[in-house]
Amino acid sequence: MNLWLRIRNILRNLLRKQQMEGHLDDELRAYTDMLADEKIAAGIPPHEARRAALAELGGIEPVRQKVRDTRAGAGLERLWLDVRFGMRQLWRNPGFTITVILTLALSIGANTAIFSIVNALMLKSLPYSHPERMGTINTHITGPVSSDERHKINGEQWELLRDNVPSLISAIASGRTSGLNLQSGSHVQYLQAGRISAHYFDVLAVHPILGRNFSEIEDLVNGPKTAILSYNLWRNTFGANPNILGKPILLKSAPYTVIGVLPEGVTTPLNADLYTALQESRKGEGAGTNFQVITRLRDGATWQQADAEINHAWSLRTQRYELEDNPGAQVSFYSVPLQQGETATLRPQILTLMLAAALILLIACANLAGLTLVRVLRRTPEIATRMALGASHWQIQRQLWIENLLLALMGGIAGIATGFLALRSLLLLLPEHFLPVADVPLDGRVLAFTLLLSLLTSVLFGMLPVLITRRFDLRSAIANRADSASHLRLRQALIVSEVAFTVVLLAAAGLLIRTLIHLQTLPPGFNPTGVMTARASLDDVRYHDPATFQKMLDQSVAAMRQIPGVQQAAAGLSLPYERSLVMGGLPINDGKEAGQKVMTSETYVTPGYFETLQIPVLAGRTFTAEDGPNTQQVAIVNQTFVRKFFHGENPVGRHVNKDIMIIGVVEDVAMAPGIDAVAPLMDEQMLYIPAAQVPPSLLAMAHVWFQPSWIVRTSHPVEGLTSQMQHAFASVDPNIPFSGFYSMHDLLAKTLVMQRVEVALLTTMAVLALLLSAIGIFALVANIVTQKTREIGIRIALGSTIRQAMTHIGSLGATAAALGLVLGLILCVAVLRTMQSVLYGINTYDLPTILAVVTTLSAVTLIATTLPALRIARIDPARTLREE
Amino acid sequence: MSAKQTNLLQGTLDLLILKALGPGELHGLGISRRIEQITHGTFFVKPGSLFPALHRMEEAGWLSSSWGDSENNRRAKFYQLTRTGKKQLEVETEQWSRVALAMANALKAT
Repeated sequence: MNLWLRIRNILRNLLRKQQMEGHLDDELRAYTDMLADEKIAAGIPPHEARRAALAELGGIEPVRQKVRDTRAGAGLERLWLDVRFGMRQLWRNPGFTITVILTLALSIGANTAIFSIVNALMLKSLPYSHPERMGTINTHITGPVSSDERHKINGEQWELLRDNVPSLISAIASGRTSGLNLQSGSHVQYLQAGRISAHYFDVLAVHPILGRNFSEIEDLVNGPKTAILSYNLWRNTFGANPNILGKPILLKSAPYTVIGVLPEGVTTPLNADLYTALQESRKGEGAGTNFQVITRLRDGATWQQADAEINHAWSLRTQRYELEDNPGAQVSFYSVPLQQGETATLRPQILTLMLAAALILLIACANLAGLTLVRVLRRTPEIATRMALGASHWQIQRQLWIENLLLALMGGIAGIATGFLALRSLLLLLPEHFLPVADVPLDGRVLAFTLLLSLLTSVLFGMLPVLITRRFDLRSAIANRADSASHLRLRQALIVSEVAFTVVLLAAAGLLIRTLIHLQTLPPGFNPTGVMTARASLDDVRYHDPATFQKMLDQSVAAMRQIPGVQQAAAGLSLPYERSLVMGGLPINDGKEAGQKVMTSETYVTPGYFETLQIPVLAGRTFTAEDGPNTQQVAIVNQTFVRKFFHGENPVGRHVNKDIMIIGVVEDVAMAPGIDAVAPLMDEQMLYIPAAQVPPSLLAMAHVWFQPSWIVRTSHPVEGLTSQMQHAFASVDPNIPFSGFYSMHDLLAKTLVMQRVEVALLTTMAVLALLLSAIGIFALVANIVTQKTREIGIRIALGSTIRQAMTHIGSLGATAAALGLVLGLILCVAVLRTMQSVLYGINTYDLPTILAVVTTLSAVTLIATTLPALRIARIDPARTLREE
Repeated sequence: MSAKQTNLLQGTLDLLILKALGPGELHGLGISRRIEQITHGTFFVKPGSLFPALHRMEEAGWLSSSWGDSENNRRAKFYQLTRTGKKQLEVETEQWSRVALAMANALKAT
């Protein structure tokens, strides 16, 4: 039968059901009447003829039913009846239905939200053409000191790769955007600039809508100063001026020529407001590992080819190359797909979250298995009755499957809604530009994942009752409502697994909370309260001259001291809680380590910096206005510096970097580590130099990467200071806007944002897990009580006390919970080791955390087992026995 | 019902109904009687089989139906072959002949 005819029949049968039935009745009546007519004609008396005709038909109803069954869509109709029956069943047990849908909504919601992020970060292809042909180059370094992976390379490595790897189109970019000022007319604006080499947009396959990309000429040191604008900057600042090409704009107080405008909606790994040529060189900033390579495989080339070329090129130079921080190291290079490279730093966190979400799902499955099991057992009389009335095993199972699918569908929809809300709030929680993707959508793949998940859980938990009804023995079900031992064991096993998974989640959340507490209560080494900071870009040609720079700093700090309520003010290249400039090759002149070249964090500060932050001075003195450009060059070091490079001996009076004299030692302050982020906060060796003595070469280079901060200490609330600080600064240089105001507490929060997000997410999931298992245990124990009512009644009738009966039931749940606790702790040993990289200051086997988990879970399981057991007190033994 | 009546073979009901309707339209009882007549009383189709088959064949597009008056003025549903039904009759006739011939040959074999 063709499809169209079939659909027409189904529609007609379903929509014009009444009419069809009417016609069938008429037809059958006509048949009977005519049959009777025949018989009358054959001489049979009318009333007998009619009865005989009806008898020959075999009853109208069976014929009618047979016709109905052959009609197209009869299966659909039966399904609809079953669905309606299922809906009624669910409606009649609102407690069960709501618990199941809530369980599904929460567990599937959590998984949907996390999967959306995984999808956006790892599965969705990058928004470039042929993203699979794009990559980045990492270095793998093995040396006597340490071995590590790096995502960035230096100027020498770049030149080698650029010239000797024909399989790749390569470009580099400064790893991060840098802040700078744009002046247009009287308007000044703080922008994020991406510094890139020629071919960067060729690698991304992005073509400007106006003008062109950077060429090799712009890449040369001291080449023409040009800029490419993002579409938004072109529209918002330059009014989408179509004649902008060739026009000069004032960047960093110097004229730059606009050579291109990017198309609307283009994303780059940098996502900057505008782009300037990097003009990389082996000297200056090219000396450090500051550059990030981005590559595209040329047509016909393979990644294996590219890797071979990279390492061949590198092998020619190995002898001549030495890593300052890892002397004698072996360096090898390899390509990494761009997507993987972009998300590498977030991967451990995301995998932890996925694992947590999976555990939640497992708990939910155990929960749902328990709930449906309980429900099927409670429905024993109904099912027994239906089977006695002739329903087959298949019909009963079909009904249960349909009910489970209905629940899965409702739970899935609720889960998508929950996941959507959870994702939105999660994205609000994350700081801007935290995820290296523009958007985290709930797309088709996420919806398919969710649907699959709800069906899977439905199959998992729907399987149990179906397996039970298969073994369902009608006679024993009616005769004996007592529970079989295997059901009891199954319920106990469910409790065990719920508790075990919850232990893992609680422990993981506990460890992260302890880490966050540890980091937040680390002694900062200064007094953060009452300090407001403001940051501005000094990447400005006017300030390449040390005298102008010095004058501006002096005047602006003096202006800020005039703000009412301000006790102290100062400026510095970087602040505590932040990353600072890392310099290699600083020679130590005298002392035991004389001749050694070391790596250290370095910053310049104005006099008053240590006083403003109240950093304790442990030896010597701090900087004064007398430490100027023409006097003895001086430096202050921190305790870690002394411990590492002077073995704790007093360094005051010793020299570093030829003739810089150490004049003081200050307390360590908590800092974000410079090169490899091993921890969000730690003590680093630090060298402070006076801003007045910064060499010109360092001045220009440092301001490309770092925006200095002005700090004021006040007794007033710090928030009120921002406009006064901007005003004070404008009185010295009206062309430089502050890019942001942060209190010291804000800075700490900013540094610990990853930890706070992790804690928030994992704690939410742990609480969810605790809630789900509490519900699950409660339902299972409550059911054990119901099923054992008769047994308990008999026990009490035979002289057992209610307390003994409660203990008996309670122990069934408590034993399972205790077993789950032990199993969970064993599971922790296996699973939590993967968290080591995100824990700071605490051990994976942290005793307080374990104790807290055991206590919390014991309390919750005790409540969840005791509450239903209390119902035993209401059991009336006489009535129980009468019912038998 | 005569003693020689035989149970319908699987798949023969459709063919018998199609054949019965070959000369023209008939109502349910008419089809039943016509089958008895053309099989010389060998087959008798019970209403419990007849009506489901008629409705199924109508849905398949082999038969069409209309309401009309019977010979003794009863309002009845009359069935007739559609074009597809006529084609189906040819196909099934050809098939059945082949099977019948094959069966006859098989039974003749020694």
